[in-house]
Formats: sequence, structure tokens, C-alpha cells
Amino acid sequence: MESSILGTRIRQRRREIGLTQAELARRIGISPSYLNLIEWNKRRIAGGLLRRTAEAVDLTVEELDDDTGRRLLDRLSEIAQLPELADVGIEEHRTNEFVGRFPGWAQGMAALAQSEREATVRAQIVADRLSNDPFLSETVHRMLTRIAAIRSAAEILSDYPEVPQARRQRFTDIVNEESRTLTGIAEALAAYLDKVEASDRKLTPVDEVEALFAERQNRFAELDAAAAPLASRLSSLHPGGRRDEARALAEAHLQEIVESLCRQPPIETAAARARARRRLMDYATGAVLMPLADFVSRAADLRYDIEALAEAFAAEVESVCLRLTALSPGKETPRFGYFRANAAGTIIEMLGLEGLTVPRYAAACPLWVLYRAQGSPEAVLPQRVLFPSGARFVFVARATGVGPSGFGRPRHYVTDMLVMREADATHTVYGPDPRALVEEVGPSCRLCPRRSCLHRVEDPFAE
Amino acid sequence: MAKRVLLAEDEPNIVESLTFLLERAGFDVAVETDGRKALDKALADTPDVLILDVMLPEIDGYEILRQLRADRRADRLPVLMLTAKGQREDRDTALECGADLFITKPFANSEIVAAVEKLSDGRPA
Repeated sequence: MESSILGTRIRQRRREIGLTQAELARRIGISPSYLNLIEWNKRRIAGGLLRRTAEAVDLTVEELDDDTGRRLLDRLSEIAQLPELADVGIEEHRTNEFVGRFPGWAQGMAALAQSEREATVRAQIVADRLSNDPFLSETVHRMLTRIAAIRSAAEILSDYPEVPQARRQRFTDIVNEESRTLTGIAEALAAYLDKVEASDRKLTPVDEVEALFAERQNRFAELDAAAAPLASRLSSLHPGGRRDEARALAEAHLQEIVESLCRQPPIETAAARARARRRLMDYATGAVLMPLADFVSRAADLRYDIEALAEAFAAEVESVCLRLTALSPGKETPRFGYFRANAAGTIIEMLGLEGLTVPRYAAACPLWVLYRAQGSPEAVLPQRVLFPSGARFVFVARATGVGPSGFGRPRHYVTDMLVMREADATHTVYGPDPRALVEEVGPSCRLCPRRSCLHRVEDPFAE
Repeated sequence: MAKRVLLAEDEPNIVESLTFLLERAGFDVAVETDGRKALDKALADTPDVLILDVMLPEIDGYEILRQLRADRRADRLPVLMLTAKGQREDRDTALECGADLFITKPFANSEIVAAVEKLSDGRPA
């Protein structure tokens, strides 16, 4: 198959700017029928002719003939060959046309195929590990043996009170000795699982982007430095308008920094690159709207009140929450985490906090204010929570309307939630009254040991 | 005369508890901690019941059982197998090799004593 979509790109661009084939042919000095062959990828185009064509359609040669398109074409050709799609009847001979005309859809399809492949690999690794990992199977064997010894000795101590003291002491010693050994085995297992998790962390595009943010502790100093001088160019007074201006400025001036961050490890796949680009552009927009130095001092003055900060910077609450996660934690500066969920309860954005366990690919505990906030839109709701691990946090959630509004139209909300440790919350307006109710919550039913919880919908994994 | 149990198990603390329990229940208990010696002793002494751990040094429990079942001296010796692996295939392997009963660790003491009593029942003391 012809592995070029250059002709399709020329045809598409010519139509976009409203040129006829005859007119473009005239401008670049070739016959319309030859241009027609080029546009249908039946003749190659290069050198001076390519330069003239690019000029005639107001693009640079690089913009017209980018590698991305060719790589995309290769990837879609691979997808077309997948055995599981053999019966679908993919029009393989028209792939270049598809890529040329619908580059966004084509990118999306390639990204989906990639994440499907990665998910399959991940599932296989997990399945393999559970069934074949010699360390795990040996460890389980050793743990069961130790538990057998402890149980047997403990039952003897309880069932035979008449046994002479010296003999009883021997069984007590067995319980002690075996418990200590069991602890060692359990610790080794925990360390092993940690290591396994660390090595697998970047198996999906979401993981790669999370790894990038985690490595940088949610802070990109190079973006902050370049964004600060742009803030003075904002003119709109309305939060939505300012956000759009800030985004336009970020796209015009910070694109290169964003791109360079997207090309470095831990970002490795194209799908992760696209996701990282979106997330970093959000960061850059926030950095233009709320320049870091100014934001740090105003945030401390206003005791991290998200609404007051939104007003002070004429920004939206969501942007303020995200911006707070970029602060360097200090003695009086809390470390903030951030979650965003839709009405279906799906977590759509997450910048976690150390010590706060959350499910990565499922909904969290329904008792989180993250979900309750949808019942009181636009209100800021704090929640003081206690996790089964003993960790205490303060959650601050607010549901905001998204999408078009108007009489008779359905209203849709997403919830933004800021997260901080309870000890840190004392430096904020959200520091709980010591008499405030402490709500017992969990990470998610699967990861939660609170067996008697009325809201449990699934058994814990350990069952 | 008390009935004789041969306990083939290499975990000293489990051996100690099981010996205590079985002696309390009126059995004579002999112990072997290595697979080769356990096989030799089972063939030579033909106890009333053999308690056989799967994971033994030298020869594993399954192999011991195969060899016992192939030998006329022990082809009907009642065998209780012990293992820390509760998976279905382990149970199937044990039963295919000719085990009479199969108990997984961690067990309840009463389970072991009841199983040994059941297996030794009907054998002349």
C-alpha cells in the first residue's frame, strides 16, 4: 500500500482554503490532471514542487508533510491486519484517505488500539504472576505453614488447661516464635508487592502521565517561570473569558516547553503524550492565570479558601484547586490532592496524596463528599474523614455546572474535591472544629475492611 | 496396645503439637522429618496410620505415596495427607496417588485427631 497521505493532506488543505484543483495547479505550475494524481496519492511529490505547493496553501513543508501522519498510517495498517478484525471488512485500501480526512478520529482509533494492547498485556502479567510467580507461591506456602503451627499450639493452650506449666510454656514459645517468623514473611511479601507495583506503574497511558506528575510533585517550574510574565496580558474580567485568554496565551507561548516535557521519560507512548499534553496545557493555563509567586502569598493570606482565591484571581474554582496541588508543601503550607468526578461517580481526574489509598480504575467509597456534593450544587462542603488505616483527612468538595444552561435544559455537574491531611487543614479555613463529626470512610468497598458498613456493595478482595 | 501413627512432617513446631495431641488421644507416635526415611519406616513398620506432609525433603509426599501403593506391604496403609496448598489440583493429585484423606494447613486440631481416629478404626490394635 502507498504509505503516504501527503496527497490527501494537500487535497484537504486546498478545500479548506477554498481553492479549486485547477487554480492550485495553475499556481504551482502543473496540469490539473497531474495534481489530481498527486492528490489521490498516485504520484509522489517532493522537492521544489512540494515547497511551491506548501506555499500556495499557506503552510510550511513540515506542516504539510509531517511524520505523524505517516506513523499514524502505519499504525492503522497494523490494526487493519489484526486477526480479531478479519471479519469486519476494514477498507484497507482507503486508510490513507481516512487518515488524511479525519486525522482526529484516526489518532483516536490508534490510541484506543494501543491502550487495548496495553490493557491486555497488563492483564496477562497479573494473571501470570498470580498463577506462576514462584516467590508468591512459596511465600503463601510458608505463611500457611506458620499459621498452622500457631493455630495448633494456640488451640492446645486453650483446650488443655490442665497441662503442666512447663509444657504450656513450650506451646506459648511456639506461638511467639512462629508469630515472629510470620511477621517477617509478611513484611517480605509487602516489600515484594511494593516493588512489583513500582515496576508496573507505567503500563497504561494514564499511568505514564501520573508518573510524570508524581516525579515532579505536580510542579513544573519551567512552565511557571515562562507563564508569569504572560499574566499581565490578560484583559477579561470574567473567569471564563480569562481562562480562554490564558489558554490562548499558553498555547502561543508555552507550547514548546509542554512538547519537550511530553518527549521525556516517563512519557513513552503516543497515547500518553496526547494525555500529558492536555494535562500540561491545563497546568500552563493555570500558571498564566495565577502566577506562582503571587498565588503562594495570596493563598497563605486567604488561608487556602478556594472560593476567595477564585475571586481574587477571577478564576474558576476548578482551576484554583488544580493550582493548589502545585504548591511546595512547607511548615504552614499543606500538601493538597485533587479529585474530579462526574455524576456517574467516575473519577475523571486525580492528583493523589501520599497515604490516601484510592482505587485507580473504579469508583471510590460512596461516603466521600465527592459524591454527596452533587446534591448541593455550587456549595462548598467540607468533610472530616477517618480511613480504616487510621489516616485522617479533610475533603472539600464543590459541584459545578458544566455545559450549556438554559430554562428547561438538563443541568450537568462535575465535582471538584480538594484533599488535605487533617493536621495540615489547621492552616486553612477548612480546619475542622474539634467537635465536628468524623465520618468513617474507606478507599472503595474492594479495599475496605469495614464489614458492617451499610453502604457496602462488594466484598473485600481478601474474602 | 495403642495404635501406632507415623508422622512424616519436617516442621518441628507442628510435629510437637501433633505429637502432643495424638498421644493425648491414645496413639503411639513415631516421627520422621525426611521423605526417604519416612518411606523406609512406613514399609518396615507398617503403622496403623501414616500422616504424610506433601513438602518433605528428599522425596515428596506424592512420590512416597506412589511407592507405598506399589508395595504389597503398604498398599492398604491408611494415609492422611497434609499440605499447605489447598488448591483443587493438589487435592486431586493426593487422591489419585492413593491418599485416603486430605487436610490442608492451617487445620483445626480436632480435625486431625478425628481423621486419624477414623482411619485407624477397624484396624486390629
